[in-house]
Amino acid sequence: MKKLLIMCGTGIATSTVVKGKVEEWLKENNLSQEVKIYQSKVSDEIGRIDDYDVILSTTLVPNNIKDKVIDGVPLLTGIGIESMYEKVLAEIKR
Amino acid sequence: MKLDKELIVLNLEASSKEEVLEVLGNLLTEHGVVKEGFIESVLQREKEFPTGLPTEPFGVAIPHTDGDMVHDSKIAFASLKNPVKFAAMGGSAELVDVKIVFMLALNSSQGQLDMLQKLVGLFQDPGTVEQLTAVSDADQLNRLLESKT
Repeated sequence: MKKLLIMCGTGIATSTVVKGKVEEWLKENNLSQEVKIYQSKVSDEIGRIDDYDVILSTTLVPNNIKDKVIDGVPLLTGIGIESMYEKVLAEIKR
Repeated sequence: MKLDKELIVLNLEASSKEEVLEVLGNLLTEHGVVKEGFIESVLQREKEFPTGLPTEPFGVAIPHTDGDMVHDSKIAFASLKNPVKFAAMGGSAELVDVKIVFMLALNSSQGQLDMLQKLVGLFQDPGTVEQLTAVSDADQLNRLLESKT
């Protein structure tokens, strides 16, 4: 089971929206059984980011963890969703 | 989905995002929806975690802050006469010309989060964003929101 973390600044607003959309996408792609979703705020996760296999964030993250984080904003604007999911899928399959 | 009439401001003339955030934050404070200090908290959070979304044909912003500043989960709305610049959400450091602002007073109540989910669906449709900028009264806004969600 892969661990997918979804974070935003508060851990309740935009991360909830992203979570709903990612859950749908996992279901459509028959990946629900392979991935467990976690939801949190950035400040709570900085120290344990390596616990997760895939990380989506709607907010800016510190530079030292930047390379591990996929930008989740496309799920809010509708722009760039496909290339975002390509990155997520690559991490799930890695 | 419906917004409270007293939390709706249409065609607001503002020259900066700070001005918009104060107007909407004051409405929420006056109506007892949020605690004193909510506006400062939103302004601070907007600096750290900006909320401008580069939607088409105009940007939308969804300023908010931690749930502990909120008594009741509600959403305040402003359409702006002229766009103001918000920093974009995410890591891009871009600026977005925003004409629609939904200020979210959210604690973790599920109903309001469902509402946010529906709102985000609206922003992804350029036709709806255009319509949101053009509404002329609160009833029209609520009819539009009801028909799209």
